[in-house]
Amino acid sequence: MTATLHQFERNFEDAPRAAAKTGRKPLISLKGVGLSFGSHEVLQDINVDIGEGEFVCVIGPSGCGKTTLLRILSGLIQASRGTVSYRGKAQTEPASDIAIVFQDYANALLPWRTASQNISLALEAAATPRAERKDRIAHLLEKVGLSKHADKYPSEMSGGMQQRLQIARCLAQNPSVILMDEPFGALDAMTRQKLQDEILAIVSESNVTAFFVTHDLEEAIYLADRVIALEPNPGRIAELIDVPLARPRNQLTTREEPEFLALRRKLFDFVLRYE
Amino acid sequence: MMRPINLLWLAASFLVTLALLALWQWIANHGYVSKVFLPGPDRAFAALTRDYSSGKLFTEVGQTVLRMALGWLVASAIGIGLGAAIGISPFARTWIAPTFEFIRPLPASAIAPVAIVFLGMTDNMILLLIAFGSVWPMLLTTIHGFSNVHPRLDEVARVLRLNRFERVYKIALPAAMPDILGGLRLGLTIALILAVVGEMITVQGGLGSRILLAARGFRAPDIFAGVIMLGLIGLATNVALTALERRLLRWQPAPAT
Repeated sequence: MTATLHQFERNFEDAPRAAAKTGRKPLISLKGVGLSFGSHEVLQDINVDIGEGEFVCVIGPSGCGKTTLLRILSGLIQASRGTVSYRGKAQTEPASDIAIVFQDYANALLPWRTASQNISLALEAAATPRAERKDRIAHLLEKVGLSKHADKYPSEMSGGMQQRLQIARCLAQNPSVILMDEPFGALDAMTRQKLQDEILAIVSESNVTAFFVTHDLEEAIYLADRVIALEPNPGRIAELIDVPLARPRNQLTTREEPEFLALRRKLFDFVLRYE
Repeated sequence: MMRPINLLWLAASFLVTLALLALWQWIANHGYVSKVFLPGPDRAFAALTRDYSSGKLFTEVGQTVLRMALGWLVASAIGIGLGAAIGISPFARTWIAPTFEFIRPLPASAIAPVAIVFLGMTDNMILLLIAFGSVWPMLLTTIHGFSNVHPRLDEVARVLRLNRFERVYKIALPAAMPDILGGLRLGLTIALILAVVGEMITVQGGLGSRILLAARGFRAPDIFAGVIMLGLIGLATNVALTALERRLLRWQPAPAT
């Protein structure tokens, strides 16, 4: 990934925002959020504030409502109780600057469009002038390392490449928030580690806020500033865990730090309670 | 782009055709079937070349192809338009689809008398017959295609805040395209059948009336010449549609051979 002047300028501009990170001015705020389907309670009394530029991971045993929580944040579904606010306003429908990376990239990409054309969809949706699209697409393809595959159809790409493409399409939205629903769950271990580092680089470059659902506990610790641990039946917050590991993180050294190992033990013990 | 293995298959199927022609000639030459009913391929081709040089062949083929094409186009427009409208609306699917299931199994030739009552023995009657018969596969496959867009694509469209028109034009239509093309192909086969049926009823030109008249006059070579031309029309239109399909669906992974 090459650091262009453009990115440098953005980082520079974002410096005050990054400073606000420690102050954690809430960008997204959930108060008493609950969701029921009929008499079945899926989520109960979720209270959490997410700060601008923060990287939040959500873990928990299956059936604890991780994905449902992400969908509520996206505005795709509405909470039955409580309030979800984004930039101080109630979140009732998808916002143009909130992007979602779905786990099933094969279904989320348009198979009849090439890599470039898939990215173009987001630009078309945002009514980006045709003349600007080409450069934006080339820039985004380069950012996710797909420059050589611009004219390939998704069916001609590997799983890792398809997920990179979906991430590029999300970045084309110029998002303030990226919601990721187990994005690397279907990928092999090596590809997953590479993409973890790429997503960390992208997030720190553009100071987006990340909300990342995963069942991989180590992945959660490796990526997050804060981990939300959900417990099931009904899904509710068991614990909010700060991750004080230094950035930038490193696949070898970070994972060997005593702090990392202690958090790993803590989260494993937590999940094991529900096995 | 043809691979050697495909060329081999093509050559093999060509040989089979030649062998069948030879068998046909052999049966005809030895008089196993009366010459009145079964002319050899030599006499059938002689009838073809005779009509070819007199120009009659072009006129007849042209009439039949034109009727088939017009009827098919009308059916396509109605089938795809109506199918899309019904496919994207769960409300319409619930209320209208059962009615279609009732009308669809009606044999199209059964409505010929109804069409004759309203339109007489005219070209429009044939068009109505073709359009009615061939609209069903297109309508049903289009409904199926539009109503089976993967829910994830729907969510992508919502997250990107595409408007209704964009959702149909950029997401649903291309997603339904494989189904629609399947319907177009089925519809085309039916259109050719009904063009011939229609022409046999009205007897106003075209290969259908030619075959009917030849049969009444015991001109067996002319019957077979007409049948051969119909076969060729079917083959040519199928090849054309396959080419269109390849082009529109080139994003689909190549089927494993």
